[in-house]
Amino acid sequence: MIKITELQKYYRTEEVETIALNKLSIDVKEGEFVAIMGPSGCGKSTLLNILGLLDDPDGGSYLFNGIEVADFNERKRADLRKHNIGFVFQSFNLIDELTVFENVELPLIYTGVPASERVARVEKVLDKMQIMHRRNHYPQQLSGGQQQRVAVARAVVNNPKLILADEPTGNLDSSNGNEVMELLTDLNEQGTTIIMVTHSEHDARYSHRIIRLLDGQTVMENIMI
Amino acid sequence: MIKNYLKTAWRNLISKKFYSAINIIGLTIGLAVGLLILIWVKDELSYDRFNTKIDQIYKVNASIGTGASRQVWGNVSAPVAFHALKDVPGVINAVRIIQNYNYSTFRYKDKILRENGNNLAFVDDSFFKMFDFKLLKGNINKPFINDQSVIITERTAKRYFGSVDPVGKTLMADSKDPYTVSGVIADFPGNSSITGNMLFSIDRKRKEYDGKDYWKAMDEDWGNYFAQTFLQIKANESTKAIGEKLTRIHFKYQKSKSSDGVFQLQPMADIHLYNPDGSAAGIQTVKVFSIVAILILIIACINYVNLSTARAMLRSKEVSIRKIIGADRKQLFIQFIIETALCFTIALLLAFILIYISMPLYNKIAGKQMHFDLFSANVWQVVALTVIATLVASSIYPALLLSSFKPISALKGKISGAGNASFRKALVVCQFAFSIGLIIGTIIINKQLNYIHTKQLGYDKEHVFALSMHNMRDHYTAIKAQLLTHPEVLSVTASDNSIINSSSNTGDTDWDGKDPNTTLLISPFEIDKDFLPMFKVQFIAGRNFTASKSDTANFILNETAVKITGIKNPLGKRFKLHSLDGTIIGVVKDFHFASLKETIKPLIFSYRPTGDQMFIKTSGKNATAAIKLADNFWKQYNSNFPYEYTFLDDTYNAMYKTDQQTGILFDIFAGIAIFISCLGLFGLATYTAQVKVKEIGIRKVLGASVANITAMLSKDFLVLVIIAFAIASPIAWYMMSKWLMGYAYRAQLHWWIIGVAGFAAILIAFLTISFQSIKAALANPVKSLRSE
Repeated sequence: MIKITELQKYYRTEEVETIALNKLSIDVKEGEFVAIMGPSGCGKSTLLNILGLLDDPDGGSYLFNGIEVADFNERKRADLRKHNIGFVFQSFNLIDELTVFENVELPLIYTGVPASERVARVEKVLDKMQIMHRRNHYPQQLSGGQQQRVAVARAVVNNPKLILADEPTGNLDSSNGNEVMELLTDLNEQGTTIIMVTHSEHDARYSHRIIRLLDGQTVMENIMI
Repeated sequence: MIKNYLKTAWRNLISKKFYSAINIIGLTIGLAVGLLILIWVKDELSYDRFNTKIDQIYKVNASIGTGASRQVWGNVSAPVAFHALKDVPGVINAVRIIQNYNYSTFRYKDKILRENGNNLAFVDDSFFKMFDFKLLKGNINKPFINDQSVIITERTAKRYFGSVDPVGKTLMADSKDPYTVSGVIADFPGNSSITGNMLFSIDRKRKEYDGKDYWKAMDEDWGNYFAQTFLQIKANESTKAIGEKLTRIHFKYQKSKSSDGVFQLQPMADIHLYNPDGSAAGIQTVKVFSIVAILILIIACINYVNLSTARAMLRSKEVSIRKIIGADRKQLFIQFIIETALCFTIALLLAFILIYISMPLYNKIAGKQMHFDLFSANVWQVVALTVIATLVASSIYPALLLSSFKPISALKGKISGAGNASFRKALVVCQFAFSIGLIIGTIIINKQLNYIHTKQLGYDKEHVFALSMHNMRDHYTAIKAQLLTHPEVLSVTASDNSIINSSSNTGDTDWDGKDPNTTLLISPFEIDKDFLPMFKVQFIAGRNFTASKSDTANFILNETAVKITGIKNPLGKRFKLHSLDGTIIGVVKDFHFASLKETIKPLIFSYRPTGDQMFIKTSGKNATAAIKLADNFWKQYNSNFPYEYTFLDDTYNAMYKTDQQTGILFDIFAGIAIFISCLGLFGLATYTAQVKVKEIGIRKVLGASVANITAMLSKDFLVLVIIAFAIASPIAWYMMSKWLMGYAYRAQLHWWIIGVAGFAAILIAFLTISFQSIKAALANPVKSLRSE
């Protein structure tokens, strides 16, 4: 599903050039659950941003479902993103002014799903995430775990092929963290490809494969049995 | 999707109450004031345009005199219309309007009402066909049954006849002349240059003006410029050629000099805002107010843009999330446009309420009868244009900025505010430059108005009241003698002209050594011997009239008349006024007998104590008793007329009423501009204090005092105000100098005006900022550091 080859990313200031990704090559197959680990500054978030088409690589190739997307313009990237990729962040990133229902509904609005269909789809996913009873609450009225469940609901409501999760349990206690990991595992079992950045060995164990990065390069890959 | 945008926008407004309030208050006041001014401007520009034939209607003006005394008059002689219709092929129709000062009261049964001569006019029958004044009752083909007919306005009909049909009823003029109402005309619109209460047939005037006395018959007298004359001409006809043709006809019938009676046509659409010579009159105020309205709207828009873009940083997370989950730039752009539109809609509704509430007061100050009718196309045009322009100006930049954020940078708080901070600073400079400009303008306008009020006019008008004598005129000498026996009356005199604002001129003069090709226009005053002493007009040569028989052939000139005529050693020299060949016995120092907008013109006094205007000077304390004394004589001789008198100070002030109204409006508008600017600055200062809360905390922990913190937060803003001052002051100075050029006599501009404006702006800005700065400086640093 994803094939990156010799991907490069630099961050430049006036005096210093930092290599974030150094000719990194990775393949992720459809239906895989991959965890990316490594110390701070190793390039894992940069990789996730490029995979999510939120950032441009400075070199190399990025094939998404066989299509070269590294040189897509902003409009094409937004289009591909909204139909194919869901995001889950450490800090949830819900919109404070919208209710739970409205937050989850938003991706459907942007993809032009009719209102009647939106209600059914949002309700279905809220039900699945066991957060239906909070549908009219605002994010600040929810616990961290509930917020992350809403974020996951929002990420999956459009039935994306790929979910990118950036330390999804980073702001949660272990109980809530486990719940979120269970949710991601369920989604993966239903066919969604998941790439997750994490510092947690515990969370990484939910994945099929762990890619360990250092200085923008792969240093190790562990297949989980 | 729109529903979602509106929902978000509404919740944003509610959740950020402080900034929303600042934005909405600024926009509401800006829109309300901007719209009020533009409604005024639209009203001024709409004058006479209700006439469907306005593109074909021209007023005939006449250029008279030569050199310094040359003038362009708005009235021409009566034969102009007569010959235009008869001898000029391009002319379709002609109308004369001649004021009727014959009467001052009209009676129907027991009801006697006073009518000002300015509201009574003789008109040609074609009046009702050329203009779009609707004849509600009567025959448009024969509006006046005979020369004793009168056509009255609806309002006048109501005043005299109530609900009774006035047609066929008789109005008794000054208890002597009966006039039968032959028609009722709709009230003249508020934006009509032609107004009045009663219209009389021009045949009546022609009958009075029959050529059997000193004057020729009306349609043959080319020397009396008393008729407003309108011509309707065929499309594409050259107005210049028609003017020249009329001038040639004039010279054919009257062998006058080529400098007299040169006719020129002025479009009817221009007569309200331009002088007969084409120079700017009201259009100058229209332009100034249009600029002020636009400045106020820009200031309000700047507030919105500044606060929106400053707070954009706080919304970067929301933008990023929306982008990440699929929003494209166009969708975000529309979202932010809708947010601005929502804010505008609320502000506009509040502005409408504000306009409705303030309209009566505004009309009172502006001296107009404007209506804020949302169903009127005129109002909607102004509203739509203003709202679209301000909405576009306010929404596009914030929407572009917010929708341009790179999602991942914005999410991590890595958006650089430097670029749009500079833009914001430029806008603040712009905003304050406008405000400082308006402050300077206000000070200079007030200074000029004060100058006019306090200027030494060259005569003493204090405690003098004037009245029209009517029947007292025949008993003037006896009445004067009796009045002077009372200690309340210090002096009594008479004249045929107003010393405050003389409007009559004549070119019928001659003197030894006069160039036959020149025409001197001079203001003639017929006075009695006490006129000049009462008004304390100073002599620079010669003597006053003594009421001797020989004085009837004596003249007194003013300095300007002597200078323009070029008469050396004028005392004892010959001077001819009309048919009277006399001698110059005195020269008075120049004094202002017209508006200070005009330079002092030539003036001539002749001794003729038969003028209709009586002037009574009282001791200030006993003015009431003097008025009562005059009333006793009034009752004795003028029982048919209501007693009316005016103090010259009031007449003088009335002459500058429009300027004073303009001054008051300008004060208000400048105040509002400053208020809106400060509102924006207050919002920005609050925002700055919020985003710098951590820095303030650290500085306080390190030992910074409240004064240090206040200075740190205020400094940047004050620098902007100082830059604005440096930009605005020379421009405002230049523009106001140009405005002052409209006055022949003007207040001096001093450097302190600039200083005061700058100081005021800086002080107001400092007070605005310091409230938030001090509040931030006094906050407990522990709280801000902990929250970080």
